Amino acid sequence: MASSSISLKRREQPMSREGDQLIVTPLGAGNEVGRSCAYMSFRGKTVLFDCGIHPAYSGMAALPYFDEIDPSTIDVLLITHFHLDHAASLPYFLEKTTFKGRVFMTHATKAIYKLLLTDYVKVSKVSVEDMLFDEHDINKSMDKIEVIDFHQTVEVNGIKFWCYTAGHVLGAAMFMVDIAGVRILYTGDYSREEDRHLRAAELPQFSPDICIIESTSGVQLHQSRHIREKRFTDVIHSTVSQGGRVLIPAFALGRAQELLLILDEYWANHPDLHNIPIYYASPLAKKCMAVYQTYILSMNDRIRNQFANSNPFVFKHISALNSIDDFRDVGPSVVMASPGGLQSGFSRQLFDIWCSDKRNACIIPGYMVEGTLAKTIINEPKEVTLMNGLTAPLNMQVHYISFSAHADYAQTSTFLKELMPPNIILVHGEANEMMRLKQKLFTEFPDGNTRIMNPKNCESVEMYFNSEKMAKTIGRLAEKTPDVGDSVSGILVKKGFTYQIMAPDDLHVFSQLSTATVTQRITIPFSGAFGVITHRLGKIFESVESSTDDETGLPALKVHERVTVKQESEKHISLQWSSDPISDMVSDSIVALVLNISREVPKIIVEEEVAVKSEEENGKKVEKVIYALLVSLFGDVKLGEDGKLVISVDGNVAHLDKESGDVESEHEGLKERVRVAFKRIQSAVKPVPLWVE
Amino acid sequence: MGTSVQVSPLSGVYNENPLSYLVSIDGFNFLLDCGWNDLFDPSLLEPLSRVASTIDAVLLTHPDTLHLGALPYAMKKLGLSAPVYATEPVHRLGLLTMYDQFLSRKQVSDFDLFTLDDIDSAFQNVIRLTYSQNYHLSGNGEGIVIAPHVAGHMLGGSIWKITKDGEEVVYAVDYNHRKERHLNGTVLQSFVRPAVLITDAYNALYTNQTQSHHRDTEFLDTISKHLEVGGNVLLPVDTAGRVLELLLILEQHWSQRAFSFPIYFLTYVSSSTIDYVKSFLEWMSDSISKSFETSRDNAFLLRHVTLLINKTDLDNAPPGPKVVLASMASLEAGFARDIFVEWANDPRNLVLFTETGQFGTLARMLQSAPPPKFVKVTMSKRVPLAGEELIAYEEEQNRLKREEALRASLVKEEETKASLGPDENSSEPMIIDTKTTHDVVGSHGPAYKDILIDGFVPPSSSVAPMFPFYDNTADWDEYGEVINPDDYVIKDEDMDRGAMHAGGDVDGRLDEATASLMLDTRPSKVISNELIVTVSCSLVKMDYEGRSDGRSIKSTIAHVSPLKLVLVHATAEATEHLKQHCLNSICPHVYAPKIEETVDVTSDLCAYKVQLSEKLMSNVIFKKLGDSEVAWVDSQVGKTESEKRCLQPMASAAAPHKPVLVGDLKMQDFKQFLASKGVQVEFAGGGALRCGEYVTLRKVGPTGQKGGASGPQQILIEGPLCEDYYKVRDYLYSQFYLL
Repeated sequence: MASSSISLKRREQPMSREGDQLIVTPLGAGNEVGRSCAYMSFRGKTVLFDCGIHPAYSGMAALPYFDEIDPSTIDVLLITHFHLDHAASLPYFLEKTTFKGRVFMTHATKAIYKLLLTDYVKVSKVSVEDMLFDEHDINKSMDKIEVIDFHQTVEVNGIKFWCYTAGHVLGAAMFMVDIAGVRILYTGDYSREEDRHLRAAELPQFSPDICIIESTSGVQLHQSRHIREKRFTDVIHSTVSQGGRVLIPAFALGRAQELLLILDEYWANHPDLHNIPIYYASPLAKKCMAVYQTYILSMNDRIRNQFANSNPFVFKHISALNSIDDFRDVGPSVVMASPGGLQSGFSRQLFDIWCSDKRNACIIPGYMVEGTLAKTIINEPKEVTLMNGLTAPLNMQVHYISFSAHADYAQTSTFLKELMPPNIILVHGEANEMMRLKQKLFTEFPDGNTRIMNPKNCESVEMYFNSEKMAKTIGRLAEKTPDVGDSVSGILVKKGFTYQIMAPDDLHVFSQLSTATVTQRITIPFSGAFGVITHRLGKIFESVESSTDDETGLPALKVHERVTVKQESEKHISLQWSSDPISDMVSDSIVALVLNISREVPKIIVEEEVAVKSEEENGKKVEKVIYALLVSLFGDVKLGEDGKLVISVDGNVAHLDKESGDVESEHEGLKERVRVAFKRIQSAVKPVPLWVE
Repeated sequence: MGTSVQVSPLSGVYNENPLSYLVSIDGFNFLLDCGWNDLFDPSLLEPLSRVASTIDAVLLTHPDTLHLGALPYAMKKLGLSAPVYATEPVHRLGLLTMYDQFLSRKQVSDFDLFTLDDIDSAFQNVIRLTYSQNYHLSGNGEGIVIAPHVAGHMLGGSIWKITKDGEEVVYAVDYNHRKERHLNGTVLQSFVRPAVLITDAYNALYTNQTQSHHRDTEFLDTISKHLEVGGNVLLPVDTAGRVLELLLILEQHWSQRAFSFPIYFLTYVSSSTIDYVKSFLEWMSDSISKSFETSRDNAFLLRHVTLLINKTDLDNAPPGPKVVLASMASLEAGFARDIFVEWANDPRNLVLFTETGQFGTLARMLQSAPPPKFVKVTMSKRVPLAGEELIAYEEEQNRLKREEALRASLVKEEETKASLGPDENSSEPMIIDTKTTHDVVGSHGPAYKDILIDGFVPPSSSVAPMFPFYDNTADWDEYGEVINPDDYVIKDEDMDRGAMHAGGDVDGRLDEATASLMLDTRPSKVISNELIVTVSCSLVKMDYEGRSDGRSIKSTIAHVSPLKLVLVHATAEATEHLKQHCLNSICPHVYAPKIEETVDVTSDLCAYKVQLSEKLMSNVIFKKLGDSEVAWVDSQVGKTESEKRCLQPMASAAAPHKPVLVGDLKMQDFKQFLASKGVQVEFAGGGALRCGEYVTLRKVGPTGQKGGASGPQQILIEGPLCEDYYKVRDYLYSQFYLL
């Protein structure tokens, strides 16, 4: 085949080991909490995990650093769960960027995602320019999102992935991605502790090569769930029995459902509290109940069995509030309101009213993002700034009882010890916490085989995987298992990351591809004697066999066992051959010859003489061409003293023996390239072999 | 070299008997389905009983009796103890189906092949998988990966892909390629070239499947016609399989037409069924899950269908025309049989069959053409014992109880003896721990039920003849009895578990009526009488079986084009028909084994693995063709450091090889391509494509079947020497890759 064109292409794709480099870049949540987004690329496949916003910022500033990447190159985008810091920039990314890959999330996540973001768009009071997306974008994004069930394996462009229960919120997943045998686990937010309605995060069956893990809780240890629950109910009980009010600022979905389950059960067990109302002020949570009631398969056995009796998400002692106007603040009550960070909205309105009364209490039930009021009041400042800009004394009691379903240090280290991933990348954690976690993990994995990294946003972590490419040789080609030194030639078929080598005849058996043979038959006007053609062809081609056609009895010729020339009638001859480049060439020259017979008598004999004479000249010409081509490839080529060609590239020198093709060089890469180039040049300048073994 | 694969059917070949096949892959025995039919004839399971103990894993496909009915019996009586794999819906709905079967049977006979407990314990250890979950087996199945995929026949219905060393065995029975209201179509077509395909020929001869919307219109017209003249409509259905589709059709139609005729869904487990189905949205069609995601409308919140779990409720329903969906579809047992007998003699009524009845059942008899005028049925019902019979029964029970108690006391005595050992954790009876009580409920739950169902046979372990007396052998120290503080901690975990148990049976949620039936401890007996039922109601059969028809089966198999094909589950005629068809046009290895005949479908494929060295790969330039990329390699075999075979570049120039054209030319597509390039093109006779004025292009050699056995394509291009010729030839070349 046209080998020179291949060598040109080779230059466009320089030989490199890029394929084995794996890059992980956090575009958000690197040394911070919020806007989770991690970019990963390996062997030309690109995966993006999560697509969140930073709750403390608004507008473009809240987005992950999408401008670091080219969205159009991403193959798959995987969303772990519906929280805003993991999913809320998705409509923007899908609708306003060049992204054209596929997006996956679990069923429950998708159902809540829409409700949550629609609510987010309505609630966030930002100017129209600052709006990242509107409801229309959300609806449009719904059509693009595909669903994946837990454990279901999906393959996209050779990227295999599946997900495990993460135990963080309903539908939360940890994604395991497998690209050419290298496995990456992205935990998202996870918790290894079973709670009232969720299962604990699963331990993946396979150990990943890289684990991208959250570090929200850092080195903290959670109290046992039952102690936390007791503290929670005790604070509430004592506050309301002293006539105080309890404010629980919580994000509408996720942990809120867990807290409501606790409260409802506690009230059911304490009849003395029945006259004290519990409210949850979130129309959104109300809407999402249908989702909670449907996807019980994603929850734990406890809920599923309760569900058999009555729906545990139909609360008996808790009522819903639509807005602050419906709320009559008379006497003690318990109100759960969003947003969790007390930035604005209902929870903030109540906080402003209640904060200066020391009988009241505020329970912060989970992790609070840096920069929010909720985070500020945990440190119990003397005064707080109200929404109207005035300051007020902070007299109400503030309790921080974490129900956040994030793994604590004990869970994280056991999880990692079970998995033993050689590379750990920490994300989704406040910088100091993350550093402490990193230090402590180092002491847990002292053998030095584990790399622990905590890249900042946009800081790439590079890893190298020397993944072996295994191919399966099948069919006729594999009838005999070859020994070392034997040659194997066949068609290599690559599908995803699996390779098969087979004989051309087997192609249709083992793949969906098929081979074809194209037979060509062309008729040429020719009115002379057939013998003339026979004679002329005999002068040009080495092998011309005469025969007669069986059917018509007319003479026929076979040139190089490739092209059959037949006399069709007085005025026509026909050529028939099976297509391939060489046969096409032979037939073309036959056609040219036949056409020229009728015009003039070619001076073949004269040319032949010239050819014989210039045997030596030819050799020189060949040498010249080889030299010119080498110069065009390598630049600096000189004729050495011993007749060898001296090729120097970037300080590396190679000596090429023109006769044998032997190359000597200290630089392996250059030696190989020169050898290949010379081989190809030689096959290009030499006559085309007409014989195929 | 290849993986050894043997298939030997245990039931359900050359006839429509329940499905059950033994497939052994490198010595690991899979039981594919474990079906029984509505007649529960133990003789059908004889082949299974011979191999049951050697089975290593059971894979279930659909939640109906034909596919999993024998599981409880096989587990209890035949020594089947292998882990069972199924999808979550197959597990749940299968369990409910078996409950319904049992309760229907128990109502009319002294059914003793298995009990509710046997059902529970058989289903308790089902390992639940989701679609396309690759589950890696361990132990002696190491290296085998199983995965269920969408079958499209019933909710959760699966086709199974078993993979070992890259060789795939696909078991696909009763699949449906058509998308339905509640189900997506099967993904069988996405499997290409598996080593072995085991499939059914059930519908091979059935070809005139009507278009689904015509069928729906006809279905609804037939029903409303009968309702409007004041007749009742009975649809004998399965418990939790195809009935879901019917419910949705009716529900949808009723809301559109605002019909006021009531619809009743009557099985022993109807309300549980629908409750569970409501939470299985993940497993349903895209449109159902989409509608839930956007508007939170659960398709199975049935507004027009009343769920009933006993016949009295139906009898108490207001008179007037109604639609009743009742189990069993075979009319052999269940509410459907009672209702049929009641309604059969009124010509206004309609019995609408939505699937072919099982062989030898009443439903099948009624479906014959012409329908019988009279049928003889044996009606049985359970009546409480009275008078002398009751006394005799009680005496018998008392005697049994005494014997049992005696035996138990002996056992107990030995136990107490053993427990008096010095190392015994002696404070046991004193523990103040909620756990013990709950554990009683938990672990003895089934046993407890057992008592209630079978009469008063106390299980040997739990009841002593006297109030249990325990010697207090507590440890003492100088302060008195040693107290373990842990005993006094109220364990929340246990509280949780308590709540869990309070919620009811862990495995099967039972309806109250079911429970009452189970708890119905009154001694009773079954009386039977034979009736001649005049069949004057209309009998109609429509196809809502949800299986692909003959034509689609053939095209699906042709598409999948397995290297070896095993045909099962169909009448001899259909099996033979499909076998011939496949032999002629799909693949040369088609097997249709008889019962207990083992066919060896080990692939005779040669294969070996090699590593592709980086050096070689960096010189390979792939060309993209559809999903795959192809390239020609010339290489030399070498060894890697780890002594593996490795392909390296040739040391010397490779011998030239015969060029290969790779690609699949479709004449139709090529015609359009040429037309788009401005070439005058049209089909001439005989499949030839006339391009321009002179040039013709045709496929020669064996045509017809795509790919498959036909081998490489042969294309002939001919024409006189002219510019057009070379132009067309260039276009033709552009459709292929030259390697």
